[in-house]
Amino acid sequence: MATGAARRGGSRLAKQFADKLTLSSSVGVQNGGAMGSPWGMQGLGATNEVAPFGARAASNQAVRNRMRSVKNIQKITMAMKMVAASKLRTVQVKAENSRGLFQPFTALLGDAPAIMGNKTLVVTLSTDKGLCGGINSTVVKYSRSLLKLNQLNGEGQDTKFVIVGDKGKAQLQREYKKHISTYITETQKVSINFTQCAMIADEIIKSSEYDVIKVVYNKFNSAVSFLPTVATLLSPEMLAGEEAQKIGDLESYETEGAETQGEVLQNLAEFQLASVLYNAMLENATSEMGARMSAMDSSTRNAGEVLDRLTLSYNRSRQASITTELIEIISGAAALEG
Amino acid sequence: MDTFRLRVIAPDRIIFDSRAAEVILATNTGLVGILPNHAPLLTGLDIGILKIRTNELWSVVAVMGGFAMVHDNDITILVNEAENAKEINLQEAQEIFQLTQTKVSQADGRKENIEANLNLKRAKARLDAIQEGIKEGTAS
Repeated sequence: MATGAARRGGSRLAKQFADKLTLSSSVGVQNGGAMGSPWGMQGLGATNEVAPFGARAASNQAVRNRMRSVKNIQKITMAMKMVAASKLRTVQVKAENSRGLFQPFTALLGDAPAIMGNKTLVVTLSTDKGLCGGINSTVVKYSRSLLKLNQLNGEGQDTKFVIVGDKGKAQLQREYKKHISTYITETQKVSINFTQCAMIADEIIKSSEYDVIKVVYNKFNSAVSFLPTVATLLSPEMLAGEEAQKIGDLESYETEGAETQGEVLQNLAEFQLASVLYNAMLENATSEMGARMSAMDSSTRNAGEVLDRLTLSYNRSRQASITTELIEIISGAAALEG
Repeated sequence: MDTFRLRVIAPDRIIFDSRAAEVILATNTGLVGILPNHAPLLTGLDIGILKIRTNELWSVVAVMGGFAMVHDNDITILVNEAENAKEINLQEAQEIFQLTQTKVSQADGRKENIEANLNLKRAKARLDAIQEGIKEGTAS
């Protein structure tokens, strides 16, 4: 009890010592050597070497505060990781189920990423929330290079952006404000469904003329691998054109329903845009959850490491102050006797 | 018996993926029946019912528009939304149908009119599906 009281009083004393670095180190070395205490040499001298990220050693109280905040951060990032993991499971199932929807279109109309038109629309899918790793930057990088590629191709090129998501909007509007045709945000307030994508597809078709649409998104490969992907969709006019006909299979089909092939192509192209958008949005959402999970996981681990280092330095300085006190008391007692 | 491969795909799930002997589609201009070895065909589907025959049993599905592609004994049907007749309750379908009918008569203005008519078509498709299903004995 007495020692406990002394220790508590001692921490106040130790603070004074900790502030005067050179003095404390010399005291530690002398008395440590004399007393043969196991922490002697390292006692106060250690306060020097563990001074974290700054010239002065932090006081005990400050280190304790820092430890508490780092521990809180660790808890928060751990919780965010769990939330992302559970959301990942639901969206992943939906994304995999939606893959079957747009594949028949590729089988029917062919896939022609090399065909370039005069008017290109780049639909960039990004996330609304942050803390999800680098997936937004990759999508923006690809969109930017698509624009530059088109600009290199000639004067008549007109490329416009349709940006889905706040993060993509923030990054692209700085440089390419005049190229942006539409923003679409807060798509995940209700869970992604086909009706929503049909509306977005409608909006895109109404608001701009285009020859080629390129949808840029992150395809979900696995929980650690997200591949940036570009899906190419041609407008009805381009589909009827020569190049597309060579690749696709459309010619061999008759059309029922007393519609001209032009009308059928129009309907088909709209439906294709909605299906591809639906799949792309789901894949991007799944990639977002996966990226957030791994980002929060590494964040939790880093917080743990910082916490370990801080704990070590805190314990060392605590033990050093106790040692100082003991030395004080003992040398005082020895002085009295002798 | 001759069969073809039939896939009916909705955005959120696969409704049917197996072999069938005959399928009846509701296109924009009426009902079309497809038998094995049909010529390649591409058609848009209206809001209506889809009937699939496997082994003398007809199953009925209410579909809300889409596309059908027939090629080389392989039929792919993509729909916006679909409901199997087995999952539809007759009572409920009738009530909804009557509700939408009154809404159409009350509709005011072009946009409301179009919306109300669309809902009526959808309710009618569901009702037709369950009624056909009962007739064919595959739904109750």
